[in-house]
Amino acid sequence: MDKRTREAVRYLGYGNHAVDEDTLLLIESSFQELSEAADKRIVYRIFNLCLADGDELMIDGLKIKSHSLSRNLKGCESVFLLGATLGTRVDLLLRRYAVGEMARSVTLQACAAALLEEYLDKWQEERRAELAETGQYLRPRFSPGYGDFSILCQEPILRMLDTAKTIGLSMTDGYMLTPSKSVTALAGISREETPCHSKGCEECGKTDCLYRRDS
Amino acid sequence: MIRERLGKEVLYFDGGMGTLLQEKGLKAGELPEVWNIEHMEEVIEIHRQYFEAGSDIVLTNTFGANALKFRDSSYELSDIVTAAVIHVKEAASLGVHDGREVYAALDVGPTGKLLKPMGDLDFEDAVRTFGEVMRCGEEAGADLIHIETMSDTYEMKAAVLAAKEQTNLPVFATMIFDEKGRLLTGGDVRSAVAMLEGLGVDALGINCGLGPEQMLPIFQEIVSHTSVPVIVKPNAGLPKQKDGAVYYDVDPAEFASVMEKIVEGGAAVAGGCCGTTPAHIRKMIETLGRRSVQHVEAEEETVVSSYGQAVILGKKPLIIGERINPTGKKRLKQALKEHDIDYILKEGITQQEKGAHILDVNVGLPDINESEMMKEVVTEIQSVTSLPLQIDTVDTEAMEAAMRIYNGKPMVNSVNGKQESMDAVFPLIKKYGGVAVGLTLDEEGIPSTAEGRIRIAGKIIREAEKYGIKKKDLVIDVLAMTVSSDPEGAKVTLEALKGVRERYGVCTVLGVSNISFGLPSRPVINAHFYTMAMQAGLSAGIVNPSSEEMMRSYYAYCALTDQDPNFEAYIQRFGGTDAAAPKGKKDSELTLQAAIEKGLKEEAKEAATELLLTLAPLEIIDSHLIPALDAVGKGFEKGTVFLPQLLMSADAAKIAFGVLKEHLAASGGSEKKKQKVILATVKGDIHDIGKNIVKVLLENYSFDVRDLGKDVDPELIVQTAVDEDIRLVGLSALMTTTVASMEETIRLLRREKPDCKVMVGGAVLNQEYADMIGADFYGKDAMQSVYYAQNVFGEES
Repeated sequence: MDKRTREAVRYLGYGNHAVDEDTLLLIESSFQELSEAADKRIVYRIFNLCLADGDELMIDGLKIKSHSLSRNLKGCESVFLLGATLGTRVDLLLRRYAVGEMARSVTLQACAAALLEEYLDKWQEERRAELAETGQYLRPRFSPGYGDFSILCQEPILRMLDTAKTIGLSMTDGYMLTPSKSVTALAGISREETPCHSKGCEECGKTDCLYRRDS
Repeated sequence: MIRERLGKEVLYFDGGMGTLLQEKGLKAGELPEVWNIEHMEEVIEIHRQYFEAGSDIVLTNTFGANALKFRDSSYELSDIVTAAVIHVKEAASLGVHDGREVYAALDVGPTGKLLKPMGDLDFEDAVRTFGEVMRCGEEAGADLIHIETMSDTYEMKAAVLAAKEQTNLPVFATMIFDEKGRLLTGGDVRSAVAMLEGLGVDALGINCGLGPEQMLPIFQEIVSHTSVPVIVKPNAGLPKQKDGAVYYDVDPAEFASVMEKIVEGGAAVAGGCCGTTPAHIRKMIETLGRRSVQHVEAEEETVVSSYGQAVILGKKPLIIGERINPTGKKRLKQALKEHDIDYILKEGITQQEKGAHILDVNVGLPDINESEMMKEVVTEIQSVTSLPLQIDTVDTEAMEAAMRIYNGKPMVNSVNGKQESMDAVFPLIKKYGGVAVGLTLDEEGIPSTAEGRIRIAGKIIREAEKYGIKKKDLVIDVLAMTVSSDPEGAKVTLEALKGVRERYGVCTVLGVSNISFGLPSRPVINAHFYTMAMQAGLSAGIVNPSSEEMMRSYYAYCALTDQDPNFEAYIQRFGGTDAAAPKGKKDSELTLQAAIEKGLKEEAKEAATELLLTLAPLEIIDSHLIPALDAVGKGFEKGTVFLPQLLMSADAAKIAFGVLKEHLAASGGSEKKKQKVILATVKGDIHDIGKNIVKVLLENYSFDVRDLGKDVDPELIVQTAVDEDIRLVGLSALMTTTVASMEETIRLLRREKPDCKVMVGGAVLNQEYADMIGADFYGKDAMQSVYYAQNVFGEES
């Protein structure tokens, strides 16, 4: 089973249980459908980063207070801001299947989430390789809503990257990204190698979560 | 006046603004329009340089000046906009030395929000937001409005309507396409052009996103399909990054040389976008000089569109799905009365799967508010399919309501030769755009001769011309009359069909199945008549795509007339290949219970149909359906069945219920009285998958779910609970930011409807949170809400 299928299975709540054949088929055809419907787009830029005491940090003109993010970015001098989306056609599919094909809608949603993560992993790997050439290191990406990094930061990040114009990514009054299969994140750049940070899921304090990767 | 010059002589726009302001110190994320007040000298200086470079039209620095982006600003929006217009005028007086006539264009960019249903910005709110800025710009002295960088046809439509309703200024409209010629929201060039032409903009085109080279093929596609003047404003190449800064690297000479090709290819207005500078514009104007617009003969085609695709009539015959029309359809009437939108959507999706190209939408019933229903159904159908729609109603109020909120250029059914009808419908086509179906009847009724009908077609075409509506925006329906009452009927219709094609070269539609009323084996007559009509030049038949006979005629006709390359469609349909075989495994021996437990839809449908031969629907529900659902539900609780499997069973059960419901509707029987439950995703929240899961399960357990959708105002939930005396409300929220509106909803419900219970669920919730906001029940998964609902109503009965 490839990584994204494994992730989709996890999002569907299987935990450590074996997945049934019907669901696997559904996952496979969902990925197939997504390969046509997903318009993957990403926009990113490097900004200067200033870390201050008391878990405060400053990215260009943006001031953020967050313990988890400060920890994640410790030792970094600059940071990638990024926004990525699978586009509105995926939302259209999800809505369409919600009429009479909920199993497919739910599976497609899990697969879309896995596809987006895969896309970002690939982006991250490419940047990591680029930076390595100049002796720099890339930290794992970190998104608003993780730990105590406020979801409200979604708004300035979108503005700084002009995501509505560049990749069609915007948000609702409730700080939800639209299209729904989208991500904003930060990824720190440092000159020193730090012990490998685990990824978002394992970082989270909610250890009884049904969808936890290591559950 | 610009309208007199537009399309005759090439007019030059200015170039980039944002990129130049950034060079002068504008920070990422800062609102550039604030500079109109805080750094006005810099803004005027940039405008001045463009006028000096030769620009005829300079944009005001108002790209993002709208109430949504300026919510938290300390400046009044009107001050920002007024200052912006004054700056351009001031710059003109400083920078124009040759006395030429120049213009200040009010620049209007997107709101930065996605419109409903994909986002949370209401269409009319968008119209208001744009209107406010535009009114202000006109008052301040702007000469035209330039709506640009729109990546969503729907938002573009809102902006154009605002401009037309709130001002008298010329409207220029440009969209942002990617290299494949697609909008960020998925639309293509043809669909965007069709919509903009329909809305009657003064000039349309493309800006931003691409450099001149990449824009060239997209420009060519635009210019060959529109007779409206075309605007082209490329970036100085594709954006690149160095050390965190974005830059563009097409230099003025290269820019000018590609712009020369574009202008030679027929562009009427040329300018630049991000990364272009006064040097680019100067070089372009020096290279091109003052010249007249190269005329390009555009194809006159009949096009309808949705936000995602354009459909062209008059080439290969098309299928307009007729199923969403209550005439003679009991089950659809019931769905409309019960506000069962899902049933209607399913009809739409099925027709698309069966091969429809356009969907007819008619929701006229005596007891319902047709305008409201039409708006809702059109919006909902557009959120599950990108097929263009045919708005079908005799109520002009409902027609206008639907045309206004329709995303794209609709087909409109219908207008006829009566003066009263033309007086009512043509102004709507003129304002909103659309292709009108003209019925060949008038004050005297339906002519019995072909010549009579052809004459009325001519009258309709001539009347439309008075409004500036071209023949390509009309399709004629010569009306199929029942042969059993008039044996000449089919002949006359076919003759008339041929006649209007030959005499006027106009496209045609026909409601094909009228022909066979009163005869046995109607499909036989219908299918043959359909073939004959296509042979006579029918552009689109309004038919039932699920009718095997009709589709046989259609595919055979296309195959025989060389309109199905390599017989691909024909073979796919009838070749017995994989595509034609039913999906999945099939086991016809399965009982209904087993089919549901295994989540097999086709089998569940067959088993339910089979059981109906011996059992009453209610008995089937109690002794077959519910036990199957119980078994799956228990498995889910124990952790042996997982969510996708639970839902596969639920989907199969829903199909079986559909069979029973159809049977009940046909036999005039009624279902058991059901308990009503409201479900809603709370205000501010647009993720509704959790709510939809709960909905399908509750429905299977025979609850009557009032699904209020997502992003629902607390007041609407409370109002519905009070009006319909509903005793249970289920609320869903995904994020912490929206739990507040959940709490608010509960608070209001407690006050207005104290006997109503509230269950909550969603990713962000837990028992503690649920207690804190005062919910009666927290459902940690979908089955829990079913059990709770059973409890709530069980106690009462």
